[in-house]
Amino acid sequence: MLQRSVFWSALAGRAVQAVVVAVVVGIISFAMMQALPGDSAYRIAAGRYGYDMMDAASADQVRTELGLDQPVVVQLVSWLGSLAQFDLGKSSVSGSPIAEELKTQMGYSLLLAGAGLLVSLLIAIPVGIMAGLKPGGWFDRFSLAASIFFRAIPAFAIGVVLMLGFAVHTKLLPVAGFKGPEYLVLPALTLGLGLAAVSSRVIRDAVSEAMSAEWRLFSRTKGLSSKLTLSRHVLRNAALPVVAYVGVQLAFLIEGVVIIESVFAWPGIGHALVHAIFGRDVPMVQGTALALGLMYVVLNLIVDLTCHGIDPRRSKTA
Amino acid sequence: MTGPNITIAVEDLVVHAGSKKLLGPISFELPAGNALVIMGETGAGKSLLAQAILGTLPDGLSAEGIIHLNGERIDQLSSQQRSAFWGREVAILPQEPWRALDPLMIAQSQVRESHRYVAGLSRKAAKQATATDFQTLDLTGAEKRLPSALSGGMAQRVAFAAATAADAPVLIADEPTKGLDAERSHTVIELLAKVPREGGTLLAITHEASVAKHLGGELLVLKSGDLVERGATKQVLAQPTADYTRELLDAEPQVWPTTPTTEAGEMLLEVKDVAVSRGERTLLQGFDLTLLAGERIAIAGPSGVGKTSLLDVLAGLQIPSAGTVTRSNQVSSTGIQKLYQDPPAAFPARVALGKSLKDVARLHGEDWSKVLAYLSRLGIDESLLKRRPDEVSGGELQRISIARALTAKPAILLADEPTSRLDPITQRETLAMIADIAAEKGIAVVLVTHDAVIADKWADRRVVLSEFPKRQY
Repeated sequence: MLQRSVFWSALAGRAVQAVVVAVVVGIISFAMMQALPGDSAYRIAAGRYGYDMMDAASADQVRTELGLDQPVVVQLVSWLGSLAQFDLGKSSVSGSPIAEELKTQMGYSLLLAGAGLLVSLLIAIPVGIMAGLKPGGWFDRFSLAASIFFRAIPAFAIGVVLMLGFAVHTKLLPVAGFKGPEYLVLPALTLGLGLAAVSSRVIRDAVSEAMSAEWRLFSRTKGLSSKLTLSRHVLRNAALPVVAYVGVQLAFLIEGVVIIESVFAWPGIGHALVHAIFGRDVPMVQGTALALGLMYVVLNLIVDLTCHGIDPRRSKTA
Repeated sequence: MTGPNITIAVEDLVVHAGSKKLLGPISFELPAGNALVIMGETGAGKSLLAQAILGTLPDGLSAEGIIHLNGERIDQLSSQQRSAFWGREVAILPQEPWRALDPLMIAQSQVRESHRYVAGLSRKAAKQATATDFQTLDLTGAEKRLPSALSGGMAQRVAFAAATAADAPVLIADEPTKGLDAERSHTVIELLAKVPREGGTLLAITHEASVAKHLGGELLVLKSGDLVERGATKQVLAQPTADYTRELLDAEPQVWPTTPTTEAGEMLLEVKDVAVSRGERTLLQGFDLTLLAGERIAIAGPSGVGKTSLLDVLAGLQIPSAGTVTRSNQVSSTGIQKLYQDPPAAFPARVALGKSLKDVARLHGEDWSKVLAYLSRLGIDESLLKRRPDEVSGGELQRISIARALTAKPAILLADEPTSRLDPITQRETLAMIADIAAEKGIAVVLVTHDAVIADKWADRRVVLSEFPKRQY
């Protein structure tokens, strides 16, 4: 009973948040596109017909067709109106429905985000546990140094270095784009390294705290083996701060997806967003930004529910 | 040397930290059906004895000497090998039961897993045995509660059930009554006293003479790791021969002299019809109090009654759910200072103590020489200030926190069980110092304590809180 009510209240809270995010992201991305210098009709016409094939007449035609000559408020209200009917509109450049494009791009972005998260956990969990079992030991200090190093370097720089090392010089892996699973390795590794740099430290702290806790010693002295103590007590207690932290990390994950997709020409939402900005494709910018924002809300909901699942104290107080 | 009945035999046990001797040499033999009580102040090495037997000494400490447990020599076994005895041959009742229970697991599961995995019962039998434990220990209704929802006394009984599930013939209890109020510590003592009566062996470590008296058996008194006196508990407590034992007994609150009453000044704080709640539970209602300068008030009552929350309301850290707290304009915004129950939690862990104090002195424009004067008066050597909070004892740290509070030039000092983690001798000295300084500076002190005797002996006025009828939810 309790569990269910917690579930629904979390869901309701996030639903409200999703609506707010949709409206705010739509307005802000629209306003920022308006603030860009230059005539967007020219850029869109260039996007449609190529720079050599367009002229003032085709730009004017684009302007009337898309209603760019109307007052900005009217344009914004009409976008919000269609959004309320779950209609994201059509791309100004290609003319295809945005919802269709987002569907394929979302799949690629989720694949990259998921693979990046998986890589980060594959690195961070063993590293964090090993460092946490012997705080202050050589491995702990070494992993701290590595963590600072990888967090200090921006994701695009790590991506370029990996690209040079594994693709350009050694030709072990493809440079960019997506034609098969091997194309996933470098972008996922780039994303994963940045994420693992911080989450390995969070895991290390959680493990070292759990290992020195009095309840762990008591579990041992009451007679449970170290294996049972680990599986029945330590893991759950250590998992709690880690799962909560992954939630905080999501902002970094989404930011990372945008940058890394651009570096690796990954056909996902982040890549599409950057291109839409260059092409002044306002409905596309709003659509992709909206998708990223909502992705953030959904991922946070998943983290919330996982935390509730792990920590029984929450459902008692909620 | 180990007869058939001897459960623990220790011969010339010495504990070292490098070349420094911390404990011993100590020898004793304990037959089944007997109790051994080890008494001494904090830092006397009492806990080291239990840790040396169990093989849980902290890194850097080593033990020498011969230890027999249930007829088997164990001193040469590694900690890993000795862990096979834990729970089965020797049960260990932890200090501070709240911290010893897994915060994320409900009470009955923590007991049931002992029956299941340590005693090796079937799933069904373990469930049955757990239900019986909760019944006999008067824990009915607490089965599905998390440790945070248990009182200290309940948590201690849950820990007791979890530790003794496999019926180990020996029970070691390290400070089993630490932080419990009189009534609850009585329940725990009863539980322990039953062990030798039922044929088991009890090794109890305590700093409280009243605990030792109830447990009976044999008594060892330790001072800085040395054995100063031994004998039958009743005998030693009635006629101590060593000076140190006498000092230890004199520090019991029952025999304290009453602190002289001070002359009260003007009104500093007025509390009218205040209600205090935590979460949805109302803890207190209709509370009135007038606090005058130089006055010492003690607020006593059982654990969980809302003493700490009330103190937070007085400090202005928590808003009362009803009523008003009015400060006189004599009291500045930093004029109310608070002393915490757990001194290590009240200091930044990685900052040298001297730096913490200097920051406070600078903030409040107090001369550093004055801070040093407070410290020397509280018996703290200046050299300690180079250390970090975890490198001084709890008693020293609490006295440093008193100096820190005084540096802020308070008109009112709120003290939340400031001595509950200190041994009786340090406790008496610390409270006497607070009273002295308060009288001299006209500071009003509100002391929260679970010990009604301390409240009686120390305060000018006493407020006893009783349990507010709990709402079921």
